[in-house]
Amino acid sequence: MATTPEQQADILERLKNGVIEYDEDSVVKAAQEALGVEMDAYKAVMDGLAAGMDVVGVYFASGEYFVPEVLMCADALYAGLNLLRPHIKMEPGKMVKGTVVIGTVEGDIHDIGKNLVKMMFEVAGFTVHDLGRDVPLDQFVDKYMETDADIVCMSAMMTTTMIGMPVVIEKVRAKNPNARIMIGGAPINEDIAQKWGADGTGKDAPNALQEALNMIGVLRELGDQFKTERVQKEWGADGLLDAAKA
Amino acid sequence: MYNNSKDTIMKVLRGEAARGDPVPNFSGMGSITLHGIQQLGYRFNEIHVDARKMAAAAASTYRLFGFESAIVPFDMGVVAESLGATVKYYDKADLGQIIYPTMTRKVIDRAVVSAPEGLSEADAKTAVMKEVERQIEEYEFRMPPDVANTGRIPVVLEALRILKREVGDAVAIGSWTLGPFTELGQVMDLEILLKMSAKKPDVVKRHLSFMVDYLDKVLNLYIEAGADFVTVREMGATSSILSPRMFKSLVLPALQDVFGRVKGVPRVLHICGDTNPIVELMAQSGADALSVDQMNRLSETRAKLPNVVLLGNYKPFGAPFCEGTPEEVDAMIKASIEQGADGVWPGCDIWPVVPVENMQAMMDAMKKYGVRVES
Repeated sequence: MATTPEQQADILERLKNGVIEYDEDSVVKAAQEALGVEMDAYKAVMDGLAAGMDVVGVYFASGEYFVPEVLMCADALYAGLNLLRPHIKMEPGKMVKGTVVIGTVEGDIHDIGKNLVKMMFEVAGFTVHDLGRDVPLDQFVDKYMETDADIVCMSAMMTTTMIGMPVVIEKVRAKNPNARIMIGGAPINEDIAQKWGADGTGKDAPNALQEALNMIGVLRELGDQFKTERVQKEWGADGLLDAAKA
Repeated sequence: MYNNSKDTIMKVLRGEAARGDPVPNFSGMGSITLHGIQQLGYRFNEIHVDARKMAAAAASTYRLFGFESAIVPFDMGVVAESLGATVKYYDKADLGQIIYPTMTRKVIDRAVVSAPEGLSEADAKTAVMKEVERQIEEYEFRMPPDVANTGRIPVVLEALRILKREVGDAVAIGSWTLGPFTELGQVMDLEILLKMSAKKPDVVKRHLSFMVDYLDKVLNLYIEAGADFVTVREMGATSSILSPRMFKSLVLPALQDVFGRVKGVPRVLHICGDTNPIVELMAQSGADALSVDQMNRLSETRAKLPNVVLLGNYKPFGAPFCEGTPEEVDAMIKASIEQGADGVWPGCDIWPVVPVENMQAMMDAMKKYGVRVES
C-alpha cells in the first residue's frame, strides 16, 4: 500500500505523541497503521517511539515528569515496540548487533532504572540478557563469558549495595581487560565510576533513570555510528556517554 | 566528646537549643562501622537477628568514636518482613563484602505471578503486570494480632531495652521505620505502585491508611522499649521520584497521620534525594525535625524555614567521608554547620567501611566548629 510522506509523518507523530502522553491505545493504533502501510518498522521505532521517549527525557530532566509518568510512557513505548519489533528487517549494516548483560547487584531489588536502561538497549536493537535483581556478583561474570557480551551494565539503588560493583568490575576485567562496563543508580556518579574502573555512567546521574533517558537521544543521534557490523569497533570506550554529556 | 550529648540532642530535637550550645553530631539512621563490628568479633549478618549483637553493634560507634546516638535496626526489611515479605540474609565469608538483609519476595510480587501458557514473551509480560495490578487493587492488609512478637520486631525491641540500660544515660537512643509510602513499596511491586499512584490514587490511599495504622503501632512499641526519638524515612516520596503535587496529595496526609499519632518523643522526618521543591511541605508534616541529604541546598532551606529544626546533610558514603582524607572530612563537617544545620547528621546510613581516621576526623571537627551561632 502506497503512502505519502505526509501520511508517514502523521503516523510517526502519533507514535511519538502517544509515548509522550502515555496513551497506549493511541500508540497501538498508530503502530498497526504503520504496519498496514508497510512503513519501515525500524524507522517507526526510532523516529516515532524513541523520538517520543527522547521528549520524555527532557520532561523528566526539567521536572515536568517524575518516575510514575516516565513508567507510563515506557508502557506506551513497549506497547508499540512489541508490535513493531517482529517486523524490523535485520539488514546487515543497519541494525546494531551488540549484546548486553544487565542486572541489579546482589542485595538490591530496585529494578526500575535497570528496566528502563534495558528498554533503551532493546529499542536500539541490542540483544539483552537480563539477570534480574539481587544478582550474585559472579553471575555477571559468568553470563558475560557465556554470551561474549559487548557491555556489562550493573545497577544499584542504595549506597549499601553499590559496594558490590567494583568486585564485578575487577573480575570481568581479569577475564577481558577491554570489556565495556557501565554502572548506574541513585548513588553512582562519574567520580565513583572512574575510581572503580567502569567505562562510564551518567554525567552526575541523580538516578539511573535520567541516564537511561539520556541514552535514547544518544542512540538516535548516533544513528550512523550504530550502522556498523560490530558497534564496539566504532564506539570508543565510553563514546556513548561522552556523547551524552555533549 | 561532650559530656552531655544526650541532653544536647534532645534540646536540639525539641527546638530548644540556644546560641553557644554545642552542635550535636548524631543520626537517626544506621550508623554502624565495619571497624566496630570487627572489634566485637561479629559477622555482618548476625547483627540483624540477634538483639544483644544488634545493641552492641549500635553502641560501638559511640564507644569507639564518641558518636552521640545509638540506632537500631540497620536494615530496611524489619517492617516488611513482619507483614509477610521474605527477607534474605547474606552470610559472606569475606567480612568486607557487606550486604544488608533484603526483601527478595514482596507480599505482592510479579516473580510469583505466571502468565497463561501460549502467549508471546511480550504478551506474557503484559498479562503478568495486569494480574499484579489486580492483586494490588484487591489486597486487604491484616493487622498482625501481636505486633510486638511478629517477625524481628521483638529483636529490635529487645535491642532498644539493652541500649537503654547500657548506654541510655550517655547517648540518645533512636529507632526508625520507613514512611507509609516507602513501606508500601517494600511490600508491593514498586513499579506498579508508582503507576497506580497516578492512575488509581484511591487504591494507594486505602493501603496507605493501613500502613499508617501499622507504623503507629510499631513506632509506639519502639518508643515504649526505650527510643528517645524516632525517625520516619520516606525516601520513596522524594522529588527524585514523585512530583511535589503527588507528594502533597498522596504522601503528606499519610505522614501527617503518622506524626499526629506517634507522640511522646521527638519525631524526625527524613527524605533523601531531591527535597528542594518539598521542604516547605515536609515542614507541614507535624514532625519535630527534618532530615535531608546532600542534594538539599541546606542554606536555602534554612532561609525558607528559619524556625524548623534541620538535620543534615553530609554525604555518608563515597568521597570524602569514606574515600577522602581526614582534612577533607573536616571541611565537609565545617560546611554542614555553616549552612545552618541544627545537628550534624548524615543524609543516609553511614557506609560501614568508613575509615577509622575519617570517623575520628569528623568527631574532631565537631570540637573545632560545633558551636551554635544562631539562637
